[in-house]
Amino acid sequence: MSLTQAVFILLGGMAVLGALGMVTLRNLFHSALAMILALFSIAGIYVLLEAEFLAVVQVLVYVGAIAMLILFGIMLTRDIVGRASAVRNRQWPLALAVSAGLLAVLAVALVRAAWPLATYAPAQGGVADLGLALMGPYALPFEVASVLLLVAMVGALIIAREARE
Amino acid sequence: MLPTLSVLNLNGAVPQIAVAGAGMLIMLIDALFHRGSRRWAAYLALLGLAVALARVVESGASAETILDGALARDGLGMAFALVLIVAAALSVLVAMDYLRREEHERAEYYALILFATAGGLAMAMANDLVAVFIGLETLSISLYVLSAFFTGDAASREAALKYLLLGAFASAFFLYGIALLYGASGTTRLVEMGTAIRLAGTQADPLLWGGVALIIVGVGFKLALVPFHSWAPDVYQGAPTSVTAFMSVASKVAAFAALVRLLVVVLAPAAPLTSALLALLAVLTMTVGNILALAQDEVKRLLAYSSIAQAGYILVAAVAGEVGAAAVLFYLLGYAFTNLGAFAVVLAWSRRGEGRLPFSDLAGLGFRRPWTAAALSLFLLSLTGMPLTVGFVGKLYLFGAAVQAGWTWLAIVAVLNSVVSAFYYLRLVVIMYMREAEMPLALQRAGLALGVALAVCAAGVILLGLVPGVALDWARQAVAVVLS
Amino acid sequence: MIPLTWYLVLSAVLFCIGLYGVLARRNAIAILMGAELMLNSANINLAAFERYVAAGSVAGQVFVIFNIAVAAAEAAVGLALILAIYRSRDTVSVEEVDLLKG
Repeated sequence: MSLTQAVFILLGGMAVLGALGMVTLRNLFHSALAMILALFSIAGIYVLLEAEFLAVVQVLVYVGAIAMLILFGIMLTRDIVGRASAVRNRQWPLALAVSAGLLAVLAVALVRAAWPLATYAPAQGGVADLGLALMGPYALPFEVASVLLLVAMVGALIIAREARE
Repeated sequence: MLPTLSVLNLNGAVPQIAVAGAGMLIMLIDALFHRGSRRWAAYLALLGLAVALARVVESGASAETILDGALARDGLGMAFALVLIVAAALSVLVAMDYLRREEHERAEYYALILFATAGGLAMAMANDLVAVFIGLETLSISLYVLSAFFTGDAASREAALKYLLLGAFASAFFLYGIALLYGASGTTRLVEMGTAIRLAGTQADPLLWGGVALIIVGVGFKLALVPFHSWAPDVYQGAPTSVTAFMSVASKVAAFAALVRLLVVVLAPAAPLTSALLALLAVLTMTVGNILALAQDEVKRLLAYSSIAQAGYILVAAVAGEVGAAAVLFYLLGYAFTNLGAFAVVLAWSRRGEGRLPFSDLAGLGFRRPWTAAALSLFLLSLTGMPLTVGFVGKLYLFGAAVQAGWTWLAIVAVLNSVVSAFYYLRLVVIMYMREAEMPLALQRAGLALGVALAVCAAGVILLGLVPGVALDWARQAVAVVLS
Repeated sequence: MIPLTWYLVLSAVLFCIGLYGVLARRNAIAILMGAELMLNSANINLAAFERYVAAGSVAGQVFVIFNIAVAAAEAAVGLALILAIYRSRDTVSVEEVDLLKG
């Protein structure tokens, strides 16, 4: 086993561990911290894929913004969270069965599909190419995404304003 | 090399730009000089939509792309864009008096309708899966916010949260499916994707089939197909009625536009799987939607279940793939007029501050409000599929496409379902004309804008029903020009 | 050299854990976190496929950047709704969100 493979197993293991913690821990605050562990590990996976820019964005936006937003949300609704309540709903065995079933199907499909495709090509170009792609072939989604972010901003304001009234 | 504006050639993207631009202008004007009535915002929204509509009609279809291949200007995209713009304009008209009556008149409402429409337009015309996904999200997030738009309405906020959580979940499925298709083809452009998948042959099968299944689950949630419909009745009932009207039409038009394009351009090699899955969903959606609608005693919730069942009928033609595309398009055009009209009547008649319209409130309205009642009867007859209405021609065409593609049993199931649906649609008509009111409803004065919207919807239902030829030819020609 | 299969299996595992979180948790914020994890797993796929299948293009990475923006937008609106519901303490608490019930 090469060093990179060992690093992958370490990072992947951490991501899975974080994800499992996220869905099983009773205390919501702990489960958000477990999610942050998973998100950090995924940033590491991006580094292994030579997608350094993605790793940076992952840490800045996911860990820095989204996870913080979620932590704020948890703390602001703390006394609901603190109250003794079920972690899982009544359908959790069904949920477990559905998830496990889908995993089995996906794993078989992906392993079978991966063989003919598996040739690794080292990354060419860098952040500059990403920027050019955003301004060229992906200009349309780029513009639509700006509308999307505007909608989210306006929407959050409208909903928050209503809460104050 | 730096891309230049000539590469981007924004000329063909005028519909999207006009719609989104009008939305931003509304926000800006409202922030700078906000006082008094917000009627101007509605007019500005209508203006933006009119510019977009004129541009779509005038520029005509051609099998070419713009924005470096990201946006298709083909007939399929343009035609669905047209239906979407018409639906958005009618939704604006329907909302104007309602928002004022409910004391929630705000400029942001119209801006959000426009942003949602811009997202839907991007979905309908995109030749790129990234753009389809971002368009879908823009549409969805606008709808989450719109469905929680009314202050102090607990039920609508709960419903909006449920909608958002299930919507985010559905988006994840859709995205995972897209990722698998990207893996199977190595590109995000739909046309190149279709070519690559065809060339790869059976080698691409595991990824292709996995992608198809996940994408259908994602789209199924967005279209509220059974068994992915659990959010729809609550959201349709909890949201402001004008939003329900918009949502029940616009999200279906945009999602079907993207689905039809995917089926025709990319997923043709997986046709056996897609057809089988969609046929299964169509049967479930029609049957469960209709059975649950039978048990309702309130008009808004009944229309919610009826909208679910209607998506099932449309799916019957989508099963037929390329053969059914024109039928899907024509039916959605008729459905836009019919469903928006029906919700407009609910909104005109429901009590202030309340979205519900119990059946008992309808009693006697056939004579107290002859014109509106006649319009509602017309819409209900069209939803049933009675001859001389657009619903009849549309269903004939939908089910005909299924038969043509060899899905005769599916068409029979659909016809049987239409018969079942007649019970609950016609029951409303009977109540309106045959029953005396125990406690007469205090009716609001319907405003001019609402009257115009109802008249346009009724005219659309009758004209498309009596002389469908022109629109049918238009639909057939439109889907014949598909970028591929 | 890491085989492509490893990335794909990792992403499938994370997707299904997220799926379980969405379906089985009761708290709305926990459900939202599950959905975020599912989006993340799709992103791993996109980045991996770009490296192994679509060498020379940056489409996969561009897609991931957009998805992160989408996730941020969803989280912002979702948490605004959750806070609004919490603050008004209406009929149903955030805990009672049962997604599988119609």
